Amino acid sequence: MRQNQLFFEELLLPHLDGAYNLARWLVGTDQDAQTVVREAYIQAWAEFGKFRGTDARSWLLTIVRNTAGTWIRAHSNHSRTIQFPEARDVVLSDKPSLEPSPEERKRELHQALSRLPFEFREILALREIEGWSYGLLASALNLPTDAVVSRLSEARLRLRQEMTEVQRRGLRE
Amino acid sequence: MNCEEFDHLLDPYLDRELDPGQIIRLEQHLSDCPVCRSLVQECLDFRSFFRSNAPVYTAPPRLRTSVLATVRRERLKSELAFLRRPWIYAAAVLFLGLAALTILIPDNAKELSGQAVARYTQSLAADHLVDIASSDQQVLGPWFAAKLNFTPPLANLQATGYSLLGGRADVIQNRPAAALVYQHRNSIVTLFCWPPNHGLLANGNHFIKGCDVYTWGNAACNYIVVSKLDKHETDAFVDSLRARGESGSY
Repeated sequence: MRQNQLFFEELLLPHLDGAYNLARWLVGTDQDAQTVVREAYIQAWAEFGKFRGTDARSWLLTIVRNTAGTWIRAHSNHSRTIQFPEARDVVLSDKPSLEPSPEERKRELHQALSRLPFEFREILALREIEGWSYGLLASALNLPTDAVVSRLSEARLRLRQEMTEVQRRGLRE
Repeated sequence: MNCEEFDHLLDPYLDRELDPGQIIRLEQHLSDCPVCRSLVQECLDFRSFFRSNAPVYTAPPRLRTSVLATVRRERLKSELAFLRRPWIYAAAVLFLGLAALTILIPDNAKELSGQAVARYTQSLAADHLVDIASSDQQVLGPWFAAKLNFTPPLANLQATGYSLLGGRADVIQNRPAAALVYQHRNSIVTLFCWPPNHGLLANGNHFIKGCDVYTWGNAACNYIVVSKLDKHETDAFVDSLRARGESGSY
């Protein structure tokens, strides 16, 4: 069993950053993300005997994603939209120009992301940050490939819309 | 391909999820349609903006420590989980019982052997080897029957090369025991025996205070032989007694 644990640590600990990043995207705060990651590693340890694949990272991230989903359902009063930290204080320059600065655009992106539903943040994180294929997304999210394609398109469209909305509000204020 | 079809395939195209046939048709349309070309460019720009500006978090160092600790604690829990199963205690009791059987009984034989050696040494020191000096079964039998309320299986207790000097009424573990005293060359060998009413003596061989001690038991008697002969001679003596005891009748 000790041998098993060394193997576990060697295989799964290198993906701690990825696990934490996904958890932050899904549940928002640092504290909640740490809780989800710890829970996910316990789950991974319990199921480690069943791990037959070669892609430990996606196996672990699937567990993180499931754990985050369960966590959010359990804390149902928790808003399914989250705060990305940089989005808290959107301070636009005193002299708003038609071309927002890169810093402002970054804030707008984070704010727009924080307004997305869980499912959209999830698929964007796994596709755009982790670079998962449609096939991997389909099996991890338990969706047919068609549904993956449409959810991804919808998520991207919604993100663009939210960015426009954030920009519009910023200009109006 | 028209613009509407193109629109449907745009995301999978940029995600490199189209098959080659679709790519050829799509790129054919692209080369003919400046509107869709600019749409592709706009999407590429947004994706590149997204990738360089989307938040990417790094795990705090303490998380690594706490994940490790959590997993190790879980491992320990699963290693100790068997303690929560009731049968493990039944198994432990059974195991201890068996251990006691294998340890305590030889210990009992060893303790009795010690007593036999003490009696043997005493009889030599006091120069009181026998209460009755006789090798005749017809004499010894009734004598033991009167003294001890039992008669040793004397017919089986003759050994060639050993002269039976006589018998003594002795005590082993507070119970009367018959002591048969043999001589071989200048050495005395004593056989203690008593009815196995309180349990059969385990087979054993101990070396106590310079004496070789053999213990065994059968339906007729428990036996202890104490001897200062060479071990191979005592072995042969004991073997002959045991062989007679197993084949003979009494």
